[in-house]
Amino acid sequence: MNQRNLTSDQRSRFVQAVLQLKRTGRYDKYVRLHTKYFAADGETGLRMAHMAPTFFPWHRQFLLVFEHELQMFDPSVTIPYWDWTADRSQNSALWDDDFMGGNGRSSDGQVMTGPFAHVSGNWPITFGVTDEKYLTRDMGRPDRPIVLPTAAELAGALKIGTYDTAPWNSAPSTQGFRNKMEGWTVGDAKGGYLHNRVHQWVGGHMTGGSSPNDPVFWLHHAFIDLIWVRWQRQHPHAAFYLPSRPLAASDPQHGRVLSASEPMPPFNVKPSAVLDHRTYYTYEEE
Amino acid sequence: MVSRRRVLRTGLTTAAAVAGTAAALRPVAAAGITRSGAPGRAADPAPGAGMNGMSGMSGTEPADPADGGTPLFDEVYCGRRIQGFTAPEPAGARILVDGRELELMRRVDGSWISMANHYQAYATPLDTARGAVDVIGHAQLSEAAAHHH
Repeated sequence: MNQRNLTSDQRSRFVQAVLQLKRTGRYDKYVRLHTKYFAADGETGLRMAHMAPTFFPWHRQFLLVFEHELQMFDPSVTIPYWDWTADRSQNSALWDDDFMGGNGRSSDGQVMTGPFAHVSGNWPITFGVTDEKYLTRDMGRPDRPIVLPTAAELAGALKIGTYDTAPWNSAPSTQGFRNKMEGWTVGDAKGGYLHNRVHQWVGGHMTGGSSPNDPVFWLHHAFIDLIWVRWQRQHPHAAFYLPSRPLAASDPQHGRVLSASEPMPPFNVKPSAVLDHRTYYTYEEE
Repeated sequence: MVSRRRVLRTGLTTAAAVAGTAAALRPVAAAGITRSGAPGRAADPAPGAGMNGMSGMSGTEPADPADGGTPLFDEVYCGRRIQGFTAPEPAGARILVDGRELELMRRVDGSWISMANHYQAYATPLDTARGAVDVIGHAQLSEAAAHHH
């Protein structure tokens, strides 16, 4: 459900489950996984989590596994989503002390408030791009200010009728809902686009390969997941995932992107198995 | 810890140096970077740059600056020393911040992203290194994450 509609008890239960997962040492494997499966399209090898059609189904499965682990601590917990077109300010209740905590301080970006502040003693960073042991944020990137994507920008991406298209990569010319939504089609002056720009806007750990170090990662990607649901509703006759069949050996992208029927590492789950979210959960919207 | 990719890079570097060819010239040239000099010989070494010729070919040191690549840049940016070198495909270049490797990835349109700035692309390795420093500030790069891929 939308994070803004959570009760105080629901906020607290989500935070406690995340902290318990961290305490048991099982949170950080998600940080490592996300780092490991970020492969770029100018290089060789299979692309999975980004710059590829599996962007949506891979992250859906990633969230499902994470959510399942949280529910072992507290069966009532689900991952809430952050609609960044609506809650656009660093004064949003999302960043209150009982939930995600606030912005990083200006000197070193260290988050000083909330349950994930290093000073709370419960959130050591053990696998980061840097050696910092504390969570960092830099909301709005004040040195080169950017704003969160607007509802109009999101609507523009949702209008695209094709899920993804050859050559299935991040090139600005790769037209399709997936690449537009992922955010590689727009230049850097605006801090990228849609999904990518939200990472940039939060700043700190969310900017790097180890972005799941910031728990807001899950709320951001739950909304990305909901956006895929909304796109499917808006285009009921479209293929919900492409390519539908394995690429021919002669295709330059053969072995680099997965079709609907090929299992995604490390989960061994096919995109086709997670196309319909209702098998696993529903969204309470608004 | 020696990762698979690290071994691959070292092997390719050695092969390129033995063959007497510049490693990964194409993608670097495509990005508008000019270079001069032969592999393993610093084209324009800054004072105290620590270039040590071909000794980097062994690849056993985690952050040997040379590593067989040709220097692309060497400067102090916002108090951090950033260095760039040519490298074999697939990345085509590598960058160091204060002597520690910053994982660099190549996009299909010729731009780069780094591990520190994973959701924003830059036109050149120099821009990528500066952009990374903008994000990490004074924090030291972690060896673990740099060699994860």
